[in-house]
Amino acid sequence: MSTYAAGLSADIGIALLGGLSVYVILATGQLSLGNAAFMAVGAYLASALTVYAGLPLTAALMLAGLASGFLGVLVGFPALRLRGIYLAMATLGFGEMTRSFFLDFAPAGGAGGFRGMGPVSTAYIWAWSASLLVGVVLLERSRLWLEFRAVNDDERAADLIGLNTTAIKVGAFGLGAAIAGVAGGLFAYHQLYIEPGMFGFDRSIEMVLYVVLGGSTVAVGPLLGATLLVLLPEFLRFLADWRLAAFGALLILVLLFRRQGIIDRGMFRGLSRRKWATP
Amino acid sequence: MLEVKGLSVHYGPIHAVKGIDLRIDRGEIVALLGANGAGKTTALKAIVGLLPYAGEVWYESRRLPQGAAEKMARRGLVLVPEGRGILSRMSVEENLWMGAYVRRDRSAVVRDIAGMIERFPILRERRNAPAGLLSGGEQQMLAIARALLARPRLLVLDEPSLGLAPLMVERVFEIVSDLRRTGLTVLLVEQKARQALSVADRAYVIELGRVSAAGPAAELAHGSALADAFLGGER
Repeated sequence: MSTYAAGLSADIGIALLGGLSVYVILATGQLSLGNAAFMAVGAYLASALTVYAGLPLTAALMLAGLASGFLGVLVGFPALRLRGIYLAMATLGFGEMTRSFFLDFAPAGGAGGFRGMGPVSTAYIWAWSASLLVGVVLLERSRLWLEFRAVNDDERAADLIGLNTTAIKVGAFGLGAAIAGVAGGLFAYHQLYIEPGMFGFDRSIEMVLYVVLGGSTVAVGPLLGATLLVLLPEFLRFLADWRLAAFGALLILVLLFRRQGIIDRGMFRGLSRRKWATP
Repeated sequence: MLEVKGLSVHYGPIHAVKGIDLRIDRGEIVALLGANGAGKTTALKAIVGLLPYAGEVWYESRRLPQGAAEKMARRGLVLVPEGRGILSRMSVEENLWMGAYVRRDRSAVVRDIAGMIERFPILRERRNAPAGLLSGGEQQMLAIARALLARPRLLVLDEPSLGLAPLMVERVFEIVSDLRRTGLTVLLVEQKARQALSVADRAYVIELGRVSAAGPAAELAHGSALADAFLGGER
């Protein structure tokens, strides 16, 4: 594989994790526009743990995921009081706050950024991405996922069924943030250098786009979305200055005709159906 | 089984429920009747923990905490809300599974779901359809089936006939009548007073947030209290 192809493949792997982090939270009906912040925490923490403390990268990524997940739970609690566009705005504010924090946080390099990480292979990045994708696919087949969807569908009805909607929503935030944290750590090691500007609003929007474009009702949706969004700008290079406009037009077209994203749960229904109760 | 003492509910400055007392014994079907806006649903929402209230709600000899709607199903108190509360983007089958959410006896749940689709054949035909695509009557069947899968000890039905075609309304009351045979305790909130009284043992009539009449269903069906409550009698 050429260096160029390997770079793109690694980008897709990391983008997939970003998409999954949004997907898991969105499954409970919560739209987060601040997942780049969880990614930033994961990126800085994994980098510091390896560069300063000499921890192996895998262990550092696990700790980064845990720390981001914990932060996600903390953010998830105040998010319970907000819905729809208000929640999106609040998470966006959280994202900008985190970016500003790292901008002023001298031990992490501030505006000058942080370096010292060594290169990792594309295979290593994909080992994480594929494992977490499989994890989310398995989660989708579990009872917990039904709970996520029930909360998304009608929170009041879910309450009456006996679901602890608070725990489910906060838990989803924590899980999504943990995945974003791992994505951040891998991103830092793929880029070899990180700075706060890499984790701005546009990064969070990209993560949402992977889900919206690929599909928001099935875990392989973010995989398709991440692949398309990473590769399309490359394939549209022949359009020179028009490529971003063409890319935008394609995006609008897809959303006009496939509001749920290119692939949806219906396409996989036969594969994931639970056996009906009757003999 | 359920005892409500001095239940009062405010919506901001509006005093919607003004000190209601009611009692339901095990195995009874009790109707809560009243015109639109009388305060029936508000009282119900307070009882199941969806609204804050003043007063006391006792269930199976324990005082129920306020604002704990998600814990009610575990205690065997299951509400089928007005508007049915189905999970419209989930399939019929998934709705049924979610109905049994509070149970841990998976093999018995599988058996009960099989039994439930035997009882409501339309659910078998539409089991993979999103529940939101069912007709109003089918959704009501699903809502009741889902509630029964939680194995309630007290089933609360809030206006189950609302918005249904006459034939479906009859079917819903048949189902409630069938529930009597299973010994289930039912609190039925209805505007269709005559039909509700035909399946209930006792009833309370709510008027402007207060209980204006109470007694055996047969007596209320022949008295003037109902007409007063629905048409506005002399006070």
